[in-house]
Amino acid sequence: MHDIQELDSRGIPGGFVASEVFRTAARTQGDAIGFHADSLFVAHPIQDRTDAEMRALADEALEAVVALVCGKDSP
Amino acid sequence: MTSVLLDPTGELDPVQRLPCKKPGSLTGLTVGLLDISKARGNVFLDRIDELLAARGVKILRFKKPTFTRPAPVALLQEMARQCDVVVEGLAD
Amino acid sequence: MQLPNGLIAVVKRDCPTCLLVDPVLQEIERHGVPLTVYIQDDPSFSRASRIIDDRNLEHSFRFGIETVPTLIHIADGRETQRAVGWQREEWETVSGLKSLGAGLPDYRPGCGSKSVEPGTAERLAVRYGESKMHARRLTVPPLEDDLELCFARGWSDGLPVVPPTEARVYRMLQGTTRAADEILGLMPPNLSPCNVEKVAINAVLAGCKPEYLPVVIAAVEAALDPAFCLHGLLATTWFSGPMVIVNGPIREAIGMNWQGNVLGQGNRANATIGRALQLVVRNVGGGKPQEADQSTFGAPGKYGFCFAEDERTPWTTLSEDRGFRRDQSSVTLFSADGPVGCIDQKSRDPASLIYSLAGSLRIVNHIDLANAADAVVVIGPEHGRVFDQAGWSKARVVAALHERLQISGQDLGMGTAPGASKDATGSAKHAVSKFRPEGLTLARAGGPAGLFSAIIPGWLMKGSLGTDPVSKEIRL
Repeated sequence: MHDIQELDSRGIPGGFVASEVFRTAARTQGDAIGFHADSLFVAHPIQDRTDAEMRALADEALEAVVALVCGKDSP
Repeated sequence: MTSVLLDPTGELDPVQRLPCKKPGSLTGLTVGLLDISKARGNVFLDRIDELLAARGVKILRFKKPTFTRPAPVALLQEMARQCDVVVEGLAD
Repeated sequence: MQLPNGLIAVVKRDCPTCLLVDPVLQEIERHGVPLTVYIQDDPSFSRASRIIDDRNLEHSFRFGIETVPTLIHIADGRETQRAVGWQREEWETVSGLKSLGAGLPDYRPGCGSKSVEPGTAERLAVRYGESKMHARRLTVPPLEDDLELCFARGWSDGLPVVPPTEARVYRMLQGTTRAADEILGLMPPNLSPCNVEKVAINAVLAGCKPEYLPVVIAAVEAALDPAFCLHGLLATTWFSGPMVIVNGPIREAIGMNWQGNVLGQGNRANATIGRALQLVVRNVGGGKPQEADQSTFGAPGKYGFCFAEDERTPWTTLSEDRGFRRDQSSVTLFSADGPVGCIDQKSRDPASLIYSLAGSLRIVNHIDLANAADAVVVIGPEHGRVFDQAGWSKARVVAALHERLQISGQDLGMGTAPGASKDATGSAKHAVSKFRPEGLTLARAGGPAGLFSAIIPGWLMKGSLGTDPVSKEIRL
């Protein structure tokens, strides 16, 4: 989240992708640094997935990733 | 002890700092994909790269040395110089 | 505040008189008088039976305690009288009891209350006092540096600002008798209401001391005067920003500089008063570079431009010329580019020096342009001596400068390449004055060495189409 904040302060919009378990930590960290980066949460777990499963996760997440960096209400 | 500051402004902007404006569409833009170096993240980002490239979006790839620390300043400067928007992943 | 009837005592262990009178408190209790003892440090030291721990000093603050021990009599829920320190007669009067403290000396002075220690008094006023500060509060997130937060929120002019904590703003507001909620006007460009509190917050950002606040307030009042045309000056593509010249006794009182390096850095009052005005425009008004502020170049003075006039010369002061008395303190606000130097190390007589100054003034804006900007000329001490020794008043110098600054009609106009045609603004028969009659203002300041003066041109738009200088009295 620090990285997205840093890039934001340099005028570069962005967001981060994390697994579901990160949701609470992300909110807490956002409160602590005074900046809530746009975020996308994908299904947990990640570490033990096969390549095929990871690619499927990416396929599912694509539109949300585009929305993350374009703006939530964008096409 | 938390510090409380008085607002010196005309108070027209929200208390919660908003991120900067998003571009609305990716047409003509360069998207940076920042790998935080956690296992399996690269497979996810590779696939996002492939899918966006197929749509004609220009993609640049970056990787930070470790997910345990903020990205080095030189990397951030480079990304700011070359990219219009950034996606960072994959934290778990 | 509705209080229980009887007596209240406020004490602290770290006070020999409080230790001395503790037996008297017990005596009072033995007489059956209801007594509550508030202790500011160690609640265990007293043998009285009804004790309230006042280590956070809230009660001491609300009772207005300045000295301990203090004994207060309450009837019908309100204070009727109090005794401060130990004096047998007073304690007997307040308590209504006789022969108190047998064996004690008749009198012992008290000690300072913890609630009025420096720093503590303000902290308590902020926490428990009726807050006169109504600006929105922002909490600094735990992992964020407060200086970085000020940058991130856009409050800075590029240099670090002092985080405006409640205690700092409270202290700043002690610098004026004016009410925090007094509205000075609507600040362009977004026309947000600007009150004394907002000025104080920005004065904290700038690094002002509380005693500078009245000067900043006067500068803001001058800037908001329609004659100054602040919105136009902010929005212009031209270089100019506001420049504050201070006159009167306040200059010395707050330690301003009118001597060496007067237009430069190093003096806290000069630096922070000018800066505070610019921060008010930025933060309250929302006027920022490359947004409402469209200045092509800007100028270093847009960080802040403020100095005091040297009033030790034979000339009338700037403020006297503008209708103030010498014993009044005032600000005069001008539009200003950066200073341009004029050197003349040869002239011993006024006419010769005026020739040099006029030459430098001729090129203001453009060598062949007339009736554009006004200019302020800061006459340095060594140049000033040339005029003073010849007995030339300021008015005489100004008249002589205007006389030397007549431009022939055929010379007027921008675009001077050989053979290029000029703007048809005049004819050879017609001479035009470079500056309007009130367009040249002279002030005295600067260090003792250097046969120089400083020319400070202003905004091209003036009068009814732009800006005029504005003066305001400084009210404490």
